[in-house]
Amino acid sequence: MSPVTTWVPQDAAALSVGADEVAAALSAAGAQVRRNGSRGLLWAEPLVEVESDAGRVGFAEVTPADIPRVMAVDTAHPGYLGVVDDHPWLSGQQRVSFARVGLVEPTSLSSYEEHDGWLGLRRALSMSRAAVVEEVVASGLRGRGGAGFPAGIKWRTVAERDAPQKFVCCNFDEGDSGTFADRMIVEGDPFTLIEGMAIAGYAVGATEGYVYVRSEYPHAVATLRHAIDLAYEQGFLGADALGSGVRFELYVRVGAGAYICGEESSMLDSLEGKRGEVRAKPPIPAISGLFGAPTLVNNVLTLCAVPAILASGGAAYAQLGRGRSLGTQVFQLAGNVARGGIVELPFGVTLRELVEDWGGGTRSGRPVRAVQVGGPLGAYVAPHQLDTPMDYEEFAGIEAMVGHGGIVVFDDTVDMARMARFAFEFCSVESCGKCTPCRLGSARGVDVMDEVLAGRNVEANLTLINDLCETMTKGSLCAMGGLTPMPVRSALRHWPEDFEKRAQREEVR
Amino acid sequence: MTADIYTPERDLGTPAGHGDATLHVTIDGATVDVPAGTSVMRAAALAGRSVPKLCATDTLAPFGSCRMCLVEVDGVRGTPASCTTPCTDGMVVTTHSDELARLRRGVMELYLTDHPADCAGCARGNCEMQSLAATVGVAEIRYPRREPARQHAPYDETNPYFAYDPAACIVCSRCVRACSETQGTFALTIAGRGNGSVVTPGGTDFFSSECVSCGACVQACPTSALTEKSVIQLGMPTRVVETTCAYCGVGCTFRAEVSDHGGDTRVVRMIPSKAGGANEGHSCVKGRFAYGYAHHPDRQLHPMVRESIDDEWRVVSWEEAIATVASGFKAIQAKYGVGAIGGITSSRCTDEEVYVVQQMVRAGFGNNNVDTCARVCHSPTGYGLKQTFGTSAGTQDFASVADADVILLIGANPTDAHPVFASRMKRRLREGARLIVADPRRIDLVRTPHVEAAYHLPLQPGTNVAFVNAMAHVAVTEGLHDEAFLRERCENVDGYLAFISDPQHSPEAVEVITGVPAAQLREAARLYASAPNAAIYYGLGVTEHSQGSTMVMGMANLAMITGNIGRRGVGVNPLRGQNNVQGSCDMGSFPHELPGYRHVANDDVRGIYEQRWGRALDPEPGLRIPNMFDSALAGTFRGVYIQGEDLAQSDPNTQHVEAALRAMDLVVLQDLFLNQTARFAHVFLPGTSFLEKDGTFINAERRINRVRPVFAPLQGKDEWQITSEIAQAMGYPMHYDNAAQIMDEIAATTPTFAGVSFATLDAEGSMQWPVNAAAPHGTPTMHVNEFVRGKGNLVETVYVPTTERANRRYPLILTTGRILTQYNVGAQTRRTENNAWHLEDILEIHPADAEMRGIATGDLVELSSRVGSTTLRAHVSSRMPPGVVYTTFHHPVTGANVVTTENSDWATNCPEYKVTAVQVGVANVRRETDLEAQRRQSTVEYAGTT
Amino acid sequence: MTTRPEVRMGNDIARQFAHLSHDRATAAIAGHLHMFWEPRMIRALRGAVAAGDDDVDPLLRDAAAKL
Repeated sequence: MSPVTTWVPQDAAALSVGADEVAAALSAAGAQVRRNGSRGLLWAEPLVEVESDAGRVGFAEVTPADIPRVMAVDTAHPGYLGVVDDHPWLSGQQRVSFARVGLVEPTSLSSYEEHDGWLGLRRALSMSRAAVVEEVVASGLRGRGGAGFPAGIKWRTVAERDAPQKFVCCNFDEGDSGTFADRMIVEGDPFTLIEGMAIAGYAVGATEGYVYVRSEYPHAVATLRHAIDLAYEQGFLGADALGSGVRFELYVRVGAGAYICGEESSMLDSLEGKRGEVRAKPPIPAISGLFGAPTLVNNVLTLCAVPAILASGGAAYAQLGRGRSLGTQVFQLAGNVARGGIVELPFGVTLRELVEDWGGGTRSGRPVRAVQVGGPLGAYVAPHQLDTPMDYEEFAGIEAMVGHGGIVVFDDTVDMARMARFAFEFCSVESCGKCTPCRLGSARGVDVMDEVLAGRNVEANLTLINDLCETMTKGSLCAMGGLTPMPVRSALRHWPEDFEKRAQREEVR
Repeated sequence: MTADIYTPERDLGTPAGHGDATLHVTIDGATVDVPAGTSVMRAAALAGRSVPKLCATDTLAPFGSCRMCLVEVDGVRGTPASCTTPCTDGMVVTTHSDELARLRRGVMELYLTDHPADCAGCARGNCEMQSLAATVGVAEIRYPRREPARQHAPYDETNPYFAYDPAACIVCSRCVRACSETQGTFALTIAGRGNGSVVTPGGTDFFSSECVSCGACVQACPTSALTEKSVIQLGMPTRVVETTCAYCGVGCTFRAEVSDHGGDTRVVRMIPSKAGGANEGHSCVKGRFAYGYAHHPDRQLHPMVRESIDDEWRVVSWEEAIATVASGFKAIQAKYGVGAIGGITSSRCTDEEVYVVQQMVRAGFGNNNVDTCARVCHSPTGYGLKQTFGTSAGTQDFASVADADVILLIGANPTDAHPVFASRMKRRLREGARLIVADPRRIDLVRTPHVEAAYHLPLQPGTNVAFVNAMAHVAVTEGLHDEAFLRERCENVDGYLAFISDPQHSPEAVEVITGVPAAQLREAARLYASAPNAAIYYGLGVTEHSQGSTMVMGMANLAMITGNIGRRGVGVNPLRGQNNVQGSCDMGSFPHELPGYRHVANDDVRGIYEQRWGRALDPEPGLRIPNMFDSALAGTFRGVYIQGEDLAQSDPNTQHVEAALRAMDLVVLQDLFLNQTARFAHVFLPGTSFLEKDGTFINAERRINRVRPVFAPLQGKDEWQITSEIAQAMGYPMHYDNAAQIMDEIAATTPTFAGVSFATLDAEGSMQWPVNAAAPHGTPTMHVNEFVRGKGNLVETVYVPTTERANRRYPLILTTGRILTQYNVGAQTRRTENNAWHLEDILEIHPADAEMRGIATGDLVELSSRVGSTTLRAHVSSRMPPGVVYTTFHHPVTGANVVTTENSDWATNCPEYKVTAVQVGVANVRRETDLEAQRRQSTVEYAGTT
Repeated sequence: MTTRPEVRMGNDIARQFAHLSHDRATAAIAGHLHMFWEPRMIRALRGAVAAGDDDVDPLLRDAAAKL
């Protein structure tokens, strides 16, 4: 009888809760262990799958002690999930970019091919460069890094530049709190990014690509470098990609730990070997980017949507979503949430569905008081706004943003005045320090919030906070300083009592 | 030019736009037309609607960090920064509104929270932020009082000339950008991030850092964070005099910022002028800071005479000194003939001062025994470029380098010797131009931050001609030459092509001579010959050889065969050593040429001067400096008038020079200091520093710059006046009322200067000769449609090796060069704080040569040649190739010229400083004490100087 | 180093033109001396030639005769 085949994720989130120990124990027990990415059910990690006639059945939160029951496919085990593909948490999603993540061995080229890998690149290479660009335009894909700029327009701008050298740069400096989709897709399915970049390189006429990864992602760096080596060996990258005569070289560069290097122009500075510092625009990177050459800068998720768009056509992708927010978004549930993880769905799902249905409410079981969407510079959304559909324009309408799709849940113990202070503090530490409103405004914001928290001159200080927010919003050089007021103002708007009650308390004394 | 009330140079905020299109922009209702590429900020300034700014300054690319310059633009969302927003045609801009005022106040209020309350900068009146705070109207600081972030950061006064006070810093990055963009050194950076951002010279103090003390950061600083120590000491200046630096041949224009306190005029600081054609607002450590020698205690302010050089000096009146000189010279001529005396002009002096010396010699002395210190540096340039192109000058302006695609740098070390031009060159290299360095030594430009040479060809000293011929051979035999240019513009084309195509000139054939791998030389030649624009820049590593003149012609050939002459971005460009080498040569300082490089045998030219000067002129060439020495030893040359040159230190083979000086009956030295030559002088006439001179200098790009006096001559006389009085005392009537009159005479008699006068120069700022009816504003690029001599002359440049060769006794080759902080023989720089960087000359030696001799860095070594020996400290360095050693010659105690020989350029007798066969060995301990004693003695001798 | 300076310098010039035919070489050398040398130097050179100085390059000798 052949040994039991098991799947244990090598995703960093799974590793952090003991996946390697589980894998070792399975091996020791005689199981064949294959390593995949995470299925995205981070609440269930380590999620071990066992191949069975019915398919891959899963067990949640497995420890070495559970191994005998797992290998025996004990359906009475409390972590038993049934066939993973059929689990409602997954089957209810619509995975396009994440289609292969968790299903395949990350750096198996054959597995990638079996699961529709390279279809997009092959089709792209059979088309004219301009047609590829128009396919992306037609898909309605918008930048997934946070700004939501139409990707096809950016591609077209770079493609139309006449320059001896152009670059494609992938922004993999995923620094927003509560976001991890970039990491998971690269750790779980790196060829998708490689394919997306190769397509982009062909489309815009760039012969070199750079992936800028944050240093905090060592597993992703190792996986990606290994995958790139394999892609070179098999001719998907290099002087003659897929025998098409098209050259595309791909390099990985690791950052040095600055949040601001996730801002595209700082990232370019850092790639050039300089201290990461925001560049004034114009010129935009599409015209003068890396080393002054026209440069396409896209986020990991943007580029990872591209292979599917080219494989199935832009029109098919544009069928998904709503309004001007088309396709799927990879939402990341985090914070005080019962079931955190990856939920890929077309735009239009409401925040409530994500937080309550997928997330299962707070982990603490207490009522949700605030949800921060779009990273540390995103607004805190109040409970009465939870029915807002995930959509760039709808969120702008409530003075919030979708951003990179990170969703961080807070229960009713949160002190929103402290969260406002944190917004300034984060900015004062992570600002590049170039422009004055951001460099000094953030530090003074902390000072003023300290006064508010101490209940001193609250009214005057809140007026000052408002003035400061205006100075930072309108005066800052980039979105870092420009958006720091967004969480602050949302906190002031929805939870004024957290700020004012301190004054009353002070008066009582 | 000069302002009686101190005002800083106008700052338009961002650099000029250079687009072809003209844009029509409306700013606060005022309209202005600007070239494409102009920022809204600059357009507003031009329209007289200036926008508040702190991080912007028009010498640096817009940065957009201070956010004081926000404006509103019709049809554009938000409040863009005017510095980083380019104008578009028809743009309508509002620079003042309630919202903008609120935002600016908001930003300024933030600045003030981070600045010391008792701002010392206010006292210095030097802080743009303080004045702007008043302008935008911040009534109160509402933020809670916290200590400013850098309040306790250490005050850095390690640099001799300026101090850094981090507490006063507003982190605008102007200094950091000046260091990178303007200077190209990248010594400054911002460390930390967010509110912890701080300007730092690379995490150490300024003196220990990579900083080259060019002063660009200090100039760029809008507050008092970076301030000249002289400003802290003397306070802010009260008036400005625009003048020209008197160090190297770059010829930077400076605003001498001066204060007059009770008649005591002091230079507070030298600020490079943005209007300066050569430097465009940049400077180096010498011009910017090393001017203190003018007031050094060593400065001699009284005439002195003595009977014999063994006597003590005796201070005398001007009248007595001049009478002594005149009677002495006349007595010599009476006894030994008219040709027994002569004069030497200085490349440190003005054109006007030089012109009167050669006039005195030719008309007053009645011979042509006049020469200049250019003899020992760039005389081969004069000969070589005259033979090939028809005039003795570089072909381009400095700005031309911005259009070069390939730069071939031969025998020059611009980052040390011509730093301001080096910064221009580095900027172009950072933009992507390729660099070929041909130099035995691995100079800084071979690899320096953001610059790396495509090829470094470490050729053996003395093999330049073989090298340049091989370059030309590759271009011609590989068909990379410009046949059309040759046929149309040049002569002796077929003869030259046949000559250079001979396989004896191939890289493979000359590899054994030059030591440069043939494959590398071929690639470099292809790079040069294939470039759209290729430019040659060279220095004394070309000229100071026994084949210096041949090499200059070889480079001219290379430029001509590849068509790299007559437009921007190309050319053959000497980097001149002294501030007025070009001018002193132009002024007729060579013994065979009258002003404008016209031979003394030419009757028509001589006629012009004979009529003007009222004396018959000698049609035969006179003696050159080395010929004067030889003739002195032969007894036929017995008196010399030396205008500001230290022959005994700077000329080769010191023993020979000293013997010649001793052999003379009357040595008259006119100088600031009692230099080495003064030991052999009978009359000392005190000279003036550049701060006292009124006149012109001409730089390496033929640019005639005005030198204007900051204060009256400290010793009471202009130098041209001294010369005139000597001439008069000798019976030749020579009189000028002022320096302007002398220039008028130069213009009237010299066609290339026809349109020059002090008035036109004052109006134009500066002009590059020829200035005449055809080019009333001067000539930036020469030989555009035809060469000065008509057709370019291709000279068959045969490589004749020097007779100076390494042998068993002297197995190493010594070559010489300069260092950034010292200048030539150091007469000026050694009398400034520049000594902090370079207190003694160092011998660089390759590790293999050092190890063989048991030499370690820091050891005292004896350096000896067939003519002499000296002792100095060794530095083991792989910058040198094996077999070649290198030293500077800035300190008299080193006496580098004790070892250099009488060998010279075949055509011009320019000494072969760059090739001397030497031996190096560890000096014994006794010598160490000798040297220390010698050093102490020299300190005494230069009383308070070193 | 007992070579007379005029002979040393003259020989340096002569070597530069040695690749030319004898007539052209001597003309070029003589032309150079005429253009750049002070009369007493030329006299000294002639003296050396007349004295049969062995150090004088034959080309220089022949050129001196043309002056």
